[in-house]
Amino acid sequence: MMLGKGTSMSDRSIVVISAGLSQPSSTRLLADRLADAAVTELAARGITAQVEHVELRDVAHEVVNMTLSGFASGALKDVLEKVAAADGVIAVTPIFSASYSGLFKSFVDILDKDALVGRPVLVGATGGTGRHSLALEYALRPLFAYLRADVAGTAVFAATDDWADGGGDDVNPLPNRIRRAGRELAEMVADREPSAPVGLYDAVPSFEQLLGGA
Amino acid sequence: MQFGIFTVGDVTTDPTTGRTPDDTERVRAMLTIAQHADQAGLDVFATGEHHNPPFVPSSPTTMLGYLAGTTKNIILSTATTLITTNDPVRLAEEYAMLQVISDGRMDLMMGRGNTGPVYPWFGQDIRQGIPLAIENYALLRRLWEEDVVDWQGKFRTPLQGFTSTPRPLDGVPPFVWHGSIRSPEIAEQAAYYGDGFLHNAIFWPLEHAAQMVKFYRERYEHYGHGQADQAIVGLGGQVFMSKNSQDAVKQFRPYFDDAPVYGHGPSLEDFMRDTPLTVGSPQQVIDRYGKFRDQVGHYQRQMFLMDHAGLPLKTVLEQIDILATEVVPVLRAEAESARPAHVPANPPSHAQRVAAAQAAGTVHEQVVAQDTYTGLRAEDSISS
Repeated sequence: MMLGKGTSMSDRSIVVISAGLSQPSSTRLLADRLADAAVTELAARGITAQVEHVELRDVAHEVVNMTLSGFASGALKDVLEKVAAADGVIAVTPIFSASYSGLFKSFVDILDKDALVGRPVLVGATGGTGRHSLALEYALRPLFAYLRADVAGTAVFAATDDWADGGGDDVNPLPNRIRRAGRELAEMVADREPSAPVGLYDAVPSFEQLLGGA
Repeated sequence: MQFGIFTVGDVTTDPTTGRTPDDTERVRAMLTIAQHADQAGLDVFATGEHHNPPFVPSSPTTMLGYLAGTTKNIILSTATTLITTNDPVRLAEEYAMLQVISDGRMDLMMGRGNTGPVYPWFGQDIRQGIPLAIENYALLRRLWEEDVVDWQGKFRTPLQGFTSTPRPLDGVPPFVWHGSIRSPEIAEQAAYYGDGFLHNAIFWPLEHAAQMVKFYRERYEHYGHGQADQAIVGLGGQVFMSKNSQDAVKQFRPYFDDAPVYGHGPSLEDFMRDTPLTVGSPQQVIDRYGKFRDQVGHYQRQMFLMDHAGLPLKTVLEQIDILATEVVPVLRAEAESARPAHVPANPPSHAQRVAAAQAAGTVHEQVVAQDTYTGLRAEDSISS
């Protein structure tokens, strides 16, 4: 496997996508905790992870523009390149009307259909009460399964109460769930070769191949 | 360097008046636009090909054949000819006919087409777009270059002893461009044959076009057609001009905001920043388009989209005049003075292609039309 300049087997990149709408948001808070947990677990395996945070709010207009125009403009171009080159993705959305937020889905819709194939993804969500927690299992997990991503077994939901002292759940409080999810993502990322960015021109078949395959 | 206009032939309501032309009016407007561009001194007129409303140009060679007879100097071309859903045999026949009728004052550009339902309407599958473009074009070239073709492929019924007529003018087929925005396979195809490559970057950042053109140039050299900087490159563009740039913005904004392709999305200002769209004074267009060769190298053809989004015919004709009198002469002179001697100024003309074919000994002799099965010649059937 070719490694990019300055990349070594012990370096990985984690892109954290957060679809919270307020700043600061509990969605970003959960995303940060999940990222910290993954970085800590990777460090325990001798791997240094670079974390890139993407607040979808910051590129919301560009997301809509790309939906209409077909190309990425402004900061969104950079964001899409980072996702394409990530070794692991943490995707966190607020739950609106029983599912991921519209902005979150709009962002997923503009990803290249192969952008997340085989990619370790950890999903998380926030909501007012724990009654929304299964949206992770019936909405987010199938979405990333469709994209053929490698989704961590633990998906983390944080309700408002979860931020209380006891983590809202005395038996399996939020910090424990975050640690477990971070460990699962770290294991998947560590088991995988580092991602090398694939350019549009890296694998163009020669004309003889094109003609032969016609 | 050549400068021309290309049209998608959309029927769009003028957002400032609410008026919509009918198909007949739009087709006639396209003819007027082409004739006006010829009189104004532009180099190229190219029509799109579409098979769904709100687009009217379904039959390019009918239109271009008429224009061949009613224009003097302008090169007639396409943007693009659907190499995927047209029968390559019909394309060989129709464009050889256009070549003869126009006395070589034409070329054409292959494209795959991106309207999903057109593929099944014409019995094809959009997922086979690239293989269709590769196989159909390979057959098209054989039909032009070989008098009698035996052929079998994956997508079309086989041919035994088929001769496409009329044979190409002077035994030399038309020059062909390939247009693609996203698919390096098509740039590879253009490079393989030594054909032209046009990147229609009107909805895309130019840096994307620059990467694709660079790839095409490298592959052109790889296949031995010349140096990379000698490859034949075209770009798409889009402008709206007025003497005063504020007036141009004010006049064009309602058309931009309502345009079918990008309307209600990015702002005019964002779109101007991110794509080659330039709305302003003629000098602004000169400044912007004069710099494109810094990104793609010296290129041979710059096309402009002018008649879309419901712009009235009168406005389009005025835009053509501004382009032809105030912009093109400056850009052409700049390009010519910057051009290295070994880089072609223009895409090859028919006369240049004939001279090159004669020098290379690859002119295809015209054969006396004869039916190889019955032995009858054309004059025999008339007398019998």
